[in-house]
Amino acid sequence: MLVPLRNQGVAMSVETQRSIATMRMPGGLGGLLPALILIGLFFVVPVLALLLRSVTDPAPGLQNYAALLGDGTYARVFFNTFLVAAVVTIVTILVAFPVAWMLAIMPPALASIVFGIIILSMWTNLLTRTYAWMVLLQRTGVINRALMATGVIDQPLPLINNLTGVTIGMVYIMLPFMILPLVGTLRAIDPMTLRAAALCGASPFQAFRRILLPLSLPGVAAGGLMVFVMSLGYFVTPALLGGTANMMLAEMIAQMIQSLLNWGLGSAAAFILLVVTMALYALQLRLVGARRATGGV
Amino acid sequence: MTQPFLSIRKLRKAFGAFTAVHDVTLDIPRGEFLTFLGPSGSGKSTTLYAIAGFQDPSSGDVLLEGKSLLAVPPHKRNIGMVFQRYTLFPHLSVAENVAFPLRVRRRPEAEVKRKVADMLGLVRLESFAERLPGALSGGQQQRVALARALAYDPPILLMDEPLSALDKKLREEIQAEIRRIHRETGVTILYVTHDQEEALHLSDRIALFRDGRIEQTGTGEDLYLRPATDFVAGFIGNSNFLAAEHLETVGGAATIRLGDGSLVSGISANGSFERGQKTRLMIRPEAFRLERGPTSAELAVEIVDVAFYGERRRIVARTAAGQEIDIRPTSAAMASQDAAPRHRQVFFDPGAAFLFPA
Amino acid sequence: MLLDYDRMGWLKVALLGFTALVAAFLLLPVVFIVLLSFGSSRWLAFPPPGWTLKWYQELFADPSWLEAALTSARIATMTALLAVLIGILASFALVRGRFRGREILRGLLLTPMVLPVVVFAIAIYAFFLRLGLGGTTIGFVIAHTVLALPFAIIPIATALEGFDKSIEDAAIVCGASPLEAKLRITLPSIRIGIFSAAIFSFLASWDEVVVAIFMASPTLQTLPVKIWGSLRADLSPVIAAASSLLVGLTLALMIVTALLRRRFQT
Repeated sequence: MLVPLRNQGVAMSVETQRSIATMRMPGGLGGLLPALILIGLFFVVPVLALLLRSVTDPAPGLQNYAALLGDGTYARVFFNTFLVAAVVTIVTILVAFPVAWMLAIMPPALASIVFGIIILSMWTNLLTRTYAWMVLLQRTGVINRALMATGVIDQPLPLINNLTGVTIGMVYIMLPFMILPLVGTLRAIDPMTLRAAALCGASPFQAFRRILLPLSLPGVAAGGLMVFVMSLGYFVTPALLGGTANMMLAEMIAQMIQSLLNWGLGSAAAFILLVVTMALYALQLRLVGARRATGGV
Repeated sequence: MTQPFLSIRKLRKAFGAFTAVHDVTLDIPRGEFLTFLGPSGSGKSTTLYAIAGFQDPSSGDVLLEGKSLLAVPPHKRNIGMVFQRYTLFPHLSVAENVAFPLRVRRRPEAEVKRKVADMLGLVRLESFAERLPGALSGGQQQRVALARALAYDPPILLMDEPLSALDKKLREEIQAEIRRIHRETGVTILYVTHDQEEALHLSDRIALFRDGRIEQTGTGEDLYLRPATDFVAGFIGNSNFLAAEHLETVGGAATIRLGDGSLVSGISANGSFERGQKTRLMIRPEAFRLERGPTSAELAVEIVDVAFYGERRRIVARTAAGQEIDIRPTSAAMASQDAAPRHRQVFFDPGAAFLFPA
Repeated sequence: MLLDYDRMGWLKVALLGFTALVAAFLLLPVVFIVLLSFGSSRWLAFPPPGWTLKWYQELFADPSWLEAALTSARIATMTALLAVLIGILASFALVRGRFRGREILRGLLLTPMVLPVVVFAIAIYAFFLRLGLGGTTIGFVIAHTVLALPFAIIPIATALEGFDKSIEDAAIVCGASPLEAKLRITLPSIRIGIFSAAIFSFLASWDEVVVAIFMASPTLQTLPVKIWGSLRADLSPVIAAASSLLVGLTLALMIVTALLRRRFQT
């Protein structure tokens, strides 16, 4: 009985000390002050000012939104943006899933090589990677030449300045953001569960469809949503690999501000992008939060 | 000779230079409850996994009614299994977990419904059908796993330490449940455990594993009362080993000299011994008596400690040769002061003592 | 069996093959750019007709490249320092604090990571135009610190959540002041998180293109702005040379990270 009593004594004195420590910083809120000042002054205020501009520039009213939503050219940009984001998300999921699956169960030595390649790709300067794809995908680029040399095609394929180029470049950039969280989801699934499914008589295909896929679905949904949101507002890759005929929203906003100096229209478009993004972000938080609530399943 | 139901033939499994299972051979009749008992790393789980199809044996064969199982993938073996960890499908309700093996076999809906109801009745969890596994206690989850494993009437049920994650009281409760289900369904059960009490309590027969080999196969009584080796004697129940010198063996009854110079004859000998060979004499703690019986041998000891353990007492005593031994008379057989004086004789039946090589 | 690497048969072969293809896809542009930078063709023919160092010579002969790189390094270093400092303070409050609205504040501080950069870029551009901070180093550092803060808070807060506070309490019981206990016990224990935060916030600034394009002035441009401008003009192999140096820097950073992690963990 002596030992537990002594432990209790220490715990009590720690409790006392803790209350002394927290008394100095009420609620521990003080540490947040620098961050809140920074974000408040240089993030919230400028963004709100921009939104204000969308209904005041050039004159008060909703004419900027009316112009954006009423015009076929802009509608095409919105459609394009959602189309590219959706295609990129689907392709990224399809490519990432098998890779994440293998990474989750592969011997660590082999996995660390693949992880190394993923990190190298992810950390390499964004413009560098996009530049490489510009050179690789151009009419006289390596990919077209290789395809022609092997006789697969006899005319160079238009791989750049169109949706194909944007999709390849964006999938390339988004893959790590899908693979890495999915590995976590798949590693959290007990391999024993799938052994049990096999012994219950489930063929590999049945075990995949009825057990592995449903169990990894929360991770796929969360990752997919993140990729979709990131793709919606992406600027650099579409601007360099896409064509003028299928511009995306971020590029249009930049152009309105930079080249056309049309602040009203640009801020209105930015506000639409902000609302869509934030709504999807909230949805994702709920999804991830719900996953935590059910014990990581 | 009739064909055995399940037959393990010279099964061998090596992981690189390490051999986990050495040529294990065993026949199991239909309807038997057989337990693989042994310390961890003794090869009992590896053997079970080879039967389930999770591990390919390096050599040897597993035959079910004369046909080899090795080429059959796990999902076509039609074997039931309950695992150490809870392996319920976390996204499916209890009823859907039990229904899973029937659904992948594409059984008609009416049959699935009926069978799920039967199985949940068997494990007494009817009222939990719509819950998710996460909302169940560990014991309840293992009962659902049992129902799922039996839902498709497999001829064999494998159980890999299914109770090791549960506390003692729950363990005993589910042990009783497993015995009842074995009785009611007549399924052949292969059960793996490192808990000797669990093995003695549940099984028709026990195969005791050590270092990848079967040390002895037999009923619990066989292993307890007639251990084939000192390892079996040491693993099952409690044992005292006393150093002894072998003098002679006549008709299976040996005569030995103990460390204090006293002679004892009529000991059960395991194997043959040379004259003068160093041996170890095994005596169960509860085989010691405080009163002399008609065939008793005696041993002079010094009492070191007496403790009360409910139905038994535990006496720690020291022999004249300086070895500590463990004696467990029933509490009723002695009042606490009976241990006095400190120096006294204790008695044992030589027929219940066994001689092993040192 | 679908998660038993050794028991998957042909499925494993197929999936491994696919994984190798994806790894090759991820590696392709990086390797390609390095090879290209040594190729002698001005029109980026591949495989190149010969090997040369002249693009590197051209790169170093042009002082504007070096100047842009130094500008980027200066801004990224200041951003990383500021983001880590503010991130540590904020993480303690977010992880240890017991106040209402904590989750909302956490969400707010992480929002710059989610909001499309282009929205923030034009917002801060307009704001700085008014304040006269456009095209200044301080403007760059402030804007980049906003973007880098989430990347600093996430690893630090994660490390802090994994740190057993009773160890810090034990130091206080031993007689250390709460501040001393944090400095001498807690911060060294979460140094992997702090180190990751520094790397991530450095990279967030170093690689940042969109805000930089808006904020850059003829006298102050970062490396991404310089590359962006050259890319829009033509696909000169000099960009490949500059890019290869950036790849080398990334590799060096990865190796340092791996080495430090190994040392921290033992």
